[in-house]
Amino acid sequence: MKLIRIQIVNFGQFSNFTFDLSNSNIDVFYGANEAGKSTVVAFIKQILFGFHLANHSSDFFEDYKPLAQVSPMGGSLFFENENGQHYQLERLYAHGKGSKTGTLTVKCDNQVVPESVFFDQIKNIDGNFYTDSFIFNQDMLAKVDQIKQKDLLERIYYLGASNSDSLITLRDDFAKSADALFKKTGRKPLINQLLLEVKAEESKVSNSENEFSVYQELNDNFKKQKVLQHQEEQKELELQKEYDKLEKIQKLVPSYEKLQDLQNQVKTINFDSEQFQSAQTLTMQAESLHKKQQKIIAKLNEYSDDPEENTAVSKLIQKKPEILQWQSEYRNCLQKDEQIKDEQNQLIALDPNLNKIVGMEQEEIIKLQEDYQKLPQKELKIGQSKNGNSKQYLLFGGVIFVVGLILLFIARAFGFLAVGMGLALVVFGSYQQKQTQKAVKIATEQNEKIRQQRQTFEKRYGIKPIKLDINNLINEWRQYQVLIQNLKRNDQRKTELIGLVKPIAVQLGHELKQTVNTFADILNGLDQLTKKINLERLRREKQTSLENSLAENKDELAENETKLKMILAKAQVNSLAEYEQIQKQKLKQDEIQNQIDALKTNLQNDLIELKSYAKNKTENQTELANLRSKISAVHENINHLQGKAAEIKVKMENLANSTAVFVEKQKLANLKARLKNLSVEYLADLFTAKWISRALDLASNERFPKMLVTTKEYLRLLTDNRYNNIEIDKKITVTRFDGKKIEVQYLSRGTSEQLYFALKLAFIQQIRDEINLPILIDDSFVNFDDQRVDEIEKLLQAIARDNQVLIFTAQTSLVDKLRIQPLTFKRGTKNV
Amino acid sequence: MKFIHFADAHLDSPFLGLSFLPSESFKQIQNAPMQSLTKIVDLALKEKVDLVLIAGDTFDSFKPTPSAQIFFAHEIERLVNAQIQVIMIFGNHDHMAKEDLLVAESPYFKLLGNGEKVETVSYKTKNGFEYDVTGFSYLANHINEDMAAQFPAKSNRYTFGIMHAQERAGTSAQNVYAPFSLSELQNLNYNYFALGHIHLRQVLSETPLIVYPGNIQGRHINETGPKGCYLGTIDEQTKQTKIHFVQTSSITWSKKEIELTKPMTKTELDNMVINCLSAISTTYFCLQIKGADFLNEKEKELVQDSDFWQMISRKLTHDSQLVDVRFINGNNLEIAFNDQKYFKQAEKEVFSSDQFAQISKSWALKSDYTDTLAQDPEFAQEVKQLAEVKLNSKLKGVNGEIN
Repeated sequence: MKLIRIQIVNFGQFSNFTFDLSNSNIDVFYGANEAGKSTVVAFIKQILFGFHLANHSSDFFEDYKPLAQVSPMGGSLFFENENGQHYQLERLYAHGKGSKTGTLTVKCDNQVVPESVFFDQIKNIDGNFYTDSFIFNQDMLAKVDQIKQKDLLERIYYLGASNSDSLITLRDDFAKSADALFKKTGRKPLINQLLLEVKAEESKVSNSENEFSVYQELNDNFKKQKVLQHQEEQKELELQKEYDKLEKIQKLVPSYEKLQDLQNQVKTINFDSEQFQSAQTLTMQAESLHKKQQKIIAKLNEYSDDPEENTAVSKLIQKKPEILQWQSEYRNCLQKDEQIKDEQNQLIALDPNLNKIVGMEQEEIIKLQEDYQKLPQKELKIGQSKNGNSKQYLLFGGVIFVVGLILLFIARAFGFLAVGMGLALVVFGSYQQKQTQKAVKIATEQNEKIRQQRQTFEKRYGIKPIKLDINNLINEWRQYQVLIQNLKRNDQRKTELIGLVKPIAVQLGHELKQTVNTFADILNGLDQLTKKINLERLRREKQTSLENSLAENKDELAENETKLKMILAKAQVNSLAEYEQIQKQKLKQDEIQNQIDALKTNLQNDLIELKSYAKNKTENQTELANLRSKISAVHENINHLQGKAAEIKVKMENLANSTAVFVEKQKLANLKARLKNLSVEYLADLFTAKWISRALDLASNERFPKMLVTTKEYLRLLTDNRYNNIEIDKKITVTRFDGKKIEVQYLSRGTSEQLYFALKLAFIQQIRDEINLPILIDDSFVNFDDQRVDEIEKLLQAIARDNQVLIFTAQTSLVDKLRIQPLTFKRGTKNV
Repeated sequence: MKFIHFADAHLDSPFLGLSFLPSESFKQIQNAPMQSLTKIVDLALKEKVDLVLIAGDTFDSFKPTPSAQIFFAHEIERLVNAQIQVIMIFGNHDHMAKEDLLVAESPYFKLLGNGEKVETVSYKTKNGFEYDVTGFSYLANHINEDMAAQFPAKSNRYTFGIMHAQERAGTSAQNVYAPFSLSELQNLNYNYFALGHIHLRQVLSETPLIVYPGNIQGRHINETGPKGCYLGTIDEQTKQTKIHFVQTSSITWSKKEIELTKPMTKTELDNMVINCLSAISTTYFCLQIKGADFLNEKEKELVQDSDFWQMISRKLTHDSQLVDVRFINGNNLEIAFNDQKYFKQAEKEVFSSDQFAQISKSWALKSDYTDTLAQDPEFAQEVKQLAEVKLNSKLKGVNGEIN
């Protein structure tokens, strides 16, 4: 892209100013300082990439003048590309109108075309790219040491991957955010902060982990304390034993003293407790005998009137069985009376005819018999009776037959016999019946003849002769007469019995002083008498026994007294009371002895020590007090040790339950987790940046090494082989002819500017196939000596073969050297 | 003969990345290692085992808290009272002296190889089955020596080896836990080699048996799956040994993944997450969301917020918890087709372990912890995943601007 005309409408100090550029590839703009050389440089850059209205700070050369004082501002650049196409870029800015970068119109061969038609041919680079790559001036030359590999690479990448500018931005963003998270040195970035925190926490954890050693120490200490405590406890035990022994002895002293006292009271007393007991028993027995005697006497007094036994009464009582017999006999008589009368009544009831003849005498009865016998007899009666008999036979025979049948089953022989008999009787019966029936017929015929005779008989005796059995009647009459005789005899006996009883009843009534009539009265009276007599007998028996007891009692008493006297005599006392006195003394002595025995048993093991203790009583008491204070001292020590042990135990338990270590460890873990997460974030950013970078590098892999080669070549050319190598790493280093490597900041001003030219021109050379724009060199050789000017001139000539070079200078020597007609800035022209 | 082999109880160890949990759940996880140990002891008593082998790192620190020590002493007492032989060694975490243990003296408790000396003991079971146990305890936190080389040749009795150690690998700086080679242990030909140190349960060799039982309770998301101990049964005639794993951990850690294939509403997302996090026992989940680029910035922020995790957790069974959400980039980078190869190549280079170490060097050098992280491939993977997600979500923006 070759610039062929610069046409300024208004820009800086220029108005309506036009430069037409020569056909050669190098143009020189010559003018004194402040002539407007830099303004033209700024104009070219700004028409291409937009105005830079100086309302904010900007790069060096665009900064020098307010640019918007005249309106419209701007102008045009005219280019011709390799294909001979002509482009006009017109950029204008009218005050207050449109974008502050100005309004760009692009024409291709006088036709307005979209901007991109032009900018696509320069790979859409921006103003910075152009400035950094194609413009040289004093300010920039001075900054050669600030050129970084990165900057160079970025420009190179630009021609590699598509969207490389965005990718570079991305890469830079990632690098930036990585940088914000972590810096190699520094404290502020989050990861750096966390690293510090982790470090602090780690030391905290390791401090807190001392818990374990503290615990161990405590544990050891605790064990020691326990041993000490045990020792002290043993000591206390010993002392306590000693103390207890002494104290026990001391406590026993009163008992010991009592023992001695009691032993002094001991006396020998003759006392036979068995004898004494006998005496006591005898006395008690005598007393009870006396009491008994009095009771007997009192009872005997009650029996003083002693009646003799009544013999009459006894005899009377002895009659009781006789009377009972009489009574029964009398009762039998009464019963017999009743019986006879019943029989009489029965007889009369059975035959009313009897009543009519009861009162008849023997002779009258005989007459009756005769009268009756004169009356004709009736067959009827016999037939009937026979008929009755035959019926009896039938019945009886039937019964026997049946019985026989039954017997057949039980006892065969009897069975057959009975059945036979039965059958015979039945046959006989039935025969009899038939006979009777014949007789009745005959009798009925005679009945009428005899009826009159009979009526006569009836009138005389009041008895109907019909149906009269005269023999029977007479027989009944006889029976009745016998009954009357019996009644008479019975009455007689009754009278006899009453006669026998009467005197007894009278005597009994006299004895009992009450009326005695009946047998019952008599028997009752006799019972009363019997009771009375029995009572009296009992009384007499008792009296006799009492009298006997009294006699015995008296004997016993006498014996008792004798025995007692003997015992008392043996014991040489006069009375039991005296004896009892001795017994009391004996009991007391016994008690003393018992006490002594008890005390001796209690004290038996300690008696010897007690003897010695009693001797040194006060000394021993002091000893006891000493022991007591020793014990309490030891005890206090034990308490102290226990307290200490408990304290240690509490501490140990606190440690055992402590979560301090865990808490710190967890805190550390949490910090580490955060650190890890942030680190992943950081490294992801960092690696993404590297990744993009590397990808860009790969995408433009050809260019960078090539550029390096060219740079070396240029540098050698510019320095006349004084410097022959260049290394572009984080810092740029050059190698001098003698092999010494020198970092850029240590180069002389001239050499570093040469280096700068070499680098930038090599870069331009490297990208010329993609981006070919005019190189603007604004007063850049002021620090070059002649030799260097020659050298740069040579280089520029070489570069100019591929790129257009515009040199702006105030150095006439340079203009001369270049042997090119310069374009000049004329002051005071109408256009300025 | 029956025996139990466990290791890496890490009593009293803190838990990473759970500080947001409600205190109750936090207590639960805090007590989980102790509960697991109690269950192992319960198992030993129930199974009437003859021997319990504890292969190091019982405590998280060489200065264990008194409470952890008291707890452990109590559990050992239960075994000892049942006349179960306990043989314990110290590991690189609890590198202490025997005297530092609060466990009461007993013929049934043996701390083997005190002071980093390889020691062999011989015992007899109640049935008269004789066996040897050889091992050593840490006294310092690192052992550079190959301790296995000092192990004696096997006797004619049944022989256990017990060792807290790591297989030799990589640089010498990493071989600080009594490094051994598998062939070396196999050549010793002990009947059973009880290892500790690696928290991932694994049988290094079947004949002879060389076994890491893993730790007894997972403590963070990289310790997934059921944890517990091995219960071994030895045929006393043939000396054949069979082992089977018994889970005693009360909390299981688990990684789950969902893939988003389109933008979704919050409810849809919630349901998808809850369905994915089904549990049969208390489980702590790390959810990886593939295709996180379908979430907008706000949504991303939301799902990475612990309040969101808690909201999800309340809907999970068995007191399970969602404790971590990570994004995985599901798609290719959203970059011009021509540039894909450069990015892929760059990714390969930048995330290569050398480059990773190089790039993260200034950060890693800052502390032991960051250094450890830098050497942890899981960590590098995490960084890479996040970098992918970050880059891709930004690239979307870049393309959005331009397209």
